[in-house]
Amino acid sequence: MAARVIVVTSGKGGVGKTTTVANLGTGLALRQKKVVMIDTDIGLRNLDLLMGMENRICFDLINVVENECRSYRQALIKDKRVENLYLLPASQIKNKDALKAEQMIKLVEQLKEEFDYILIDSPAGIESGFENAVAPATEAIVVTNPEVPAVRDADRIIGLLQAKKIYEPMLVLNRLRSDMVKKRDMLDVDDINDILAIKLLGVVPEDEQIIVATNKGEPVVFNQQSKAGEAFRNIVRRLEGEAVPFMSFNTEPGVFGRFWKMLHGK
Amino acid sequence: MSVATNSLSSEQLVFKGLKQGLTLFIPEEKAFTYWLGVLDEQLERAKTFFQGGSILVELGDRKLSPSELSDLKAVLAKYQMTIKAFNPLAKKLFSPRTKPEEPEPGGVLLFKGTVRNGQRLEYNGDIVVKGDVNPGGELIATGDIIVLGVLRGIAHAGVRGNLEAEIIALTLAPVQLRIAHIYSRAPEGMEAGQGPEIAHIKGETIVVERL
Repeated sequence: MAARVIVVTSGKGGVGKTTTVANLGTGLALRQKKVVMIDTDIGLRNLDLLMGMENRICFDLINVVENECRSYRQALIKDKRVENLYLLPASQIKNKDALKAEQMIKLVEQLKEEFDYILIDSPAGIESGFENAVAPATEAIVVTNPEVPAVRDADRIIGLLQAKKIYEPMLVLNRLRSDMVKKRDMLDVDDINDILAIKLLGVVPEDEQIIVATNKGEPVVFNQQSKAGEAFRNIVRRLEGEAVPFMSFNTEPGVFGRFWKMLHGK
Repeated sequence: MSVATNSLSSEQLVFKGLKQGLTLFIPEEKAFTYWLGVLDEQLERAKTFFQGGSILVELGDRKLSPSELSDLKAVLAKYQMTIKAFNPLAKKLFSPRTKPEEPEPGGVLLFKGTVRNGQRLEYNGDIVVKGDVNPGGELIATGDIIVLGVLRGIAHAGVRGNLEAEIIALTLAPVQLRIAHIYSRAPEGMEAGQGPEIAHIKGETIVVERL
């Protein structure tokens, strides 16, 4: 089976790597793909929280690579909402040095037999944790935010990925606020494309529903009302090779909206 | 002052603990045989202190004949001392300044693609980039730098002191420009110029002009 092994990384912390992994993993599984998400953020694991799986962890990634459980299957946590979605959680008590790149490569080789997609959630930074996460991957998604430091770090990461022979990483631009872009207070999609010059996989608008989803442990991609959820569903389709037009984030009210405003004097 | 040569206290050879090891300094003035005598006396008095050591010898510009060298070795051998190496200072201070390598004539490095944050191209010659140089990317050349794209990072042309070196870009919007020993940065809030521009030295500053 030709599994796609995709690392999700960013350089800078807090831009939405884990959120992206949780939503893409869920979104792909909703399309009947068999998906495993590996959290490599050893010591700072979060992906299990976003998936609402924290209380079901028995074994973790380190147990698996150290052969402390029978097989990786024992450590995989199966999602209860979607078929075919699994999580391999990070260890919370060890640190980044507990994992080696060769161990990751070996593990992913085994997982490839069974899954369509292997999504690797990378820790922030460019040190050993990043190296371990990238080592087994053949594709990469770089997550960034529309602000200068995040874009700088993304640029650095793209260079590092290319040095590791992942020549065409894909970009997810997260937390875009169209109202701020309109006032030229925020970098827009074109500014970022100009600098990073890699394939844009999708733009996710800033959305309060993300926070709700994160706290509930239910990825926003399930939420049909959420703009961010829609953006992630589109990203999943593009990842699968569909040509999906980019969403318009125009917040200007339409004809009906203007009429409504007139009536209400707002 | 001729009396002083026999006085033990006035003329002594200096031993110094350098990073490379204990070093004996033999001045360039006066005959070498004179200093050998001084050394012999000095070691005789401090026998136990120096005994059995391996030392460095700093001669400055003095050249030793084979017989002088064997005499020096003989004196040191009397006190079980050996010579580890000569002139430890010379390597440290003078060698890097001797003759910088000349750039290979006509050498050009052509780079296709984006020079990203954290990446650096260094070349002994000219650099041509067919693509952009992003903030945090660096180009360092002994000759000229040409960017067929947007230069947003740092470019240092003529890095070994070539004041004639030039920096050319289709869009020049660098964090910093450096030519030879002169550094400059764009004035705050200045927009990048439209169209290709060239930066070179005029007087003591770097000026940017339309190409």
